[in-house]
Amino acid sequence: MKKPWILILASIVLLPFIVRPAIASEIWIFAIFGLGLNLLLGYTGLLSFGQSTFFGSAAYVAGWLLKHYGINVFFALGIGVGVGALSALVVGYLCVQRSGLYFIMLTFALNQLFYFIAYQWTSVTGGEDGMPGVPRPALAGIDFTNPLVYYALVSVLFLAALWIMKRIVESPLGKILQAIRENEVRAEAVGYNVPRFKLLAFVIGGAFSGLAGVLYAMLFGIVPLEAIGFVFSGNVLFATLIGGSGSLYGPVIGSFVFIWLSESVSTLWARWPLLLGVAFVIVVLFLRGGVVEAWTRFWTWRSSKHKA
Amino acid sequence: MALLETQSLTKSFGALRAVNDVSLSIEAGSLHSIIGPNGAGKTTLFNLLTGTFPPTSGRILLDGRDITGTPAARVAHLGLARSYQRTTVFPAFSLLDNVWVAAFATGKSWRGLIWRKTGRYPEVGERARQALADVGLLAKADVPAREISHGEQRQLELAIALAAGPRVLLLDEPAAGLSPDETRKMVSLVRTLKGRYTIVLIEHKIDIIMSVSDRISVMYFGSLIAEGTPEEIQRNAEVRRAYLGGVAA
Repeated sequence: MKKPWILILASIVLLPFIVRPAIASEIWIFAIFGLGLNLLLGYTGLLSFGQSTFFGSAAYVAGWLLKHYGINVFFALGIGVGVGALSALVVGYLCVQRSGLYFIMLTFALNQLFYFIAYQWTSVTGGEDGMPGVPRPALAGIDFTNPLVYYALVSVLFLAALWIMKRIVESPLGKILQAIRENEVRAEAVGYNVPRFKLLAFVIGGAFSGLAGVLYAMLFGIVPLEAIGFVFSGNVLFATLIGGSGSLYGPVIGSFVFIWLSESVSTLWARWPLLLGVAFVIVVLFLRGGVVEAWTRFWTWRSSKHKA
Repeated sequence: MALLETQSLTKSFGALRAVNDVSLSIEAGSLHSIIGPNGAGKTTLFNLLTGTFPPTSGRILLDGRDITGTPAARVAHLGLARSYQRTTVFPAFSLLDNVWVAAFATGKSWRGLIWRKTGRYPEVGERARQALADVGLLAKADVPAREISHGEQRQLELAIALAAGPRVLLLDEPAAGLSPDETRKMVSLVRTLKGRYTIVLIEHKIDIIMSVSDRISVMYFGSLIAEGTPEEIQRNAEVRRAYLGGVAA
């Protein structure tokens, strides 16, 4: 097994000893969310500022079904993946024909549209109060209300998501999406229908976001209105950039840093987003590849010193 | 028989007729050059042929089949591949990946598109390596495209077009910006491709054109003003006045 996977496995095992299981779960859930975004951002070169659309839609739909129809956990997760993909299909279809700033603003605008639907439709979503009472029904004798058991479920799903994403980015599709990022005109000219491929990236990213959304709703037992808001879209973007959008593992590291910072430092210091702001500025100015790049730079620097 | 044909092809941008009533006929297996001063509409003609944008009027026929208005991504699958006047490659990719993406696009099947590893398409990999070998870049297969010289990037530009295994190769000034030495290399490269592919070549450098072409068409302000063998074109008084005269005297 390769080094990153060993590191990730070790973190999964150790994390619940260091932070509360809920926070540990949140880290991996956010990482799944980040993986989905990174297929768009890092691989296809599309800055989507509306990822919480898919996250939130999936959380509301699956959460509602869990609450009112008592569907089982895996069915809920499947629904989430489906809703995430479907909402991404709709949003993506409208966005992929645009490029640059217009693309970004359109993902943002559609995110706002979904947000205000959730805000207004209080009979279902609870509006500003959120949708509480999302259960974690037991399945085949496994009690998911136990935080550690739920953490195990989240971890397994995260590993599966990471493995699937790894296969996708190493497939021809991964190569084609990167070709689109590198040179859209040439990608089209050599025979790829660029909008169609962008849409596919959206749908896959949406499916990952949807999975994360349902896990999030079950984790906290509530779908807060923020889950579909633009701040959430910004957070995942933030986390991914800090971790490093150029690599598969970037969003995982980013999620780790982001959630851990926001949970631990926020209790000590109310102005903690300032720290994030500083980290973000540093990344943008000096480290386009985020933590991953800092890490590889450090190691090449060390090995060059060893040789000398 | 004509493999690629245009009939009264016209493209207007507002009041400007960039391509005006152009009827061309490219014989299978030939090297057909298109010359003309800057702004004559040569590149616009290529953009029409490859579906970058549709013509205002007129038709494009490939093998007798009407392909007018076919979008660029589809045109590639019909067997038309182009290189660009301004280098248009995938900078962060290795040279092999540059040609691999092009080879995969026109490969036999896209099965396993989102799941199979890229290494497990032997036929695509083979075609990609062959394209690099054809332009003499195989030794640098693993080097990122942004790190090679301008001359090598022009060769890569050509390799991407070759990797598609096209029936017609459209080369837009392959020697643009090359030193005399690099130009000689490029000319001999184009010569080795001659006969293996049907080639349409846009070029400014008259000596290249005269030495490699089977036929030459001359464009001037969007219109075709002459067509013939290199000897006929050299003798043509109108061409001399419109084009050659201005440059070579």
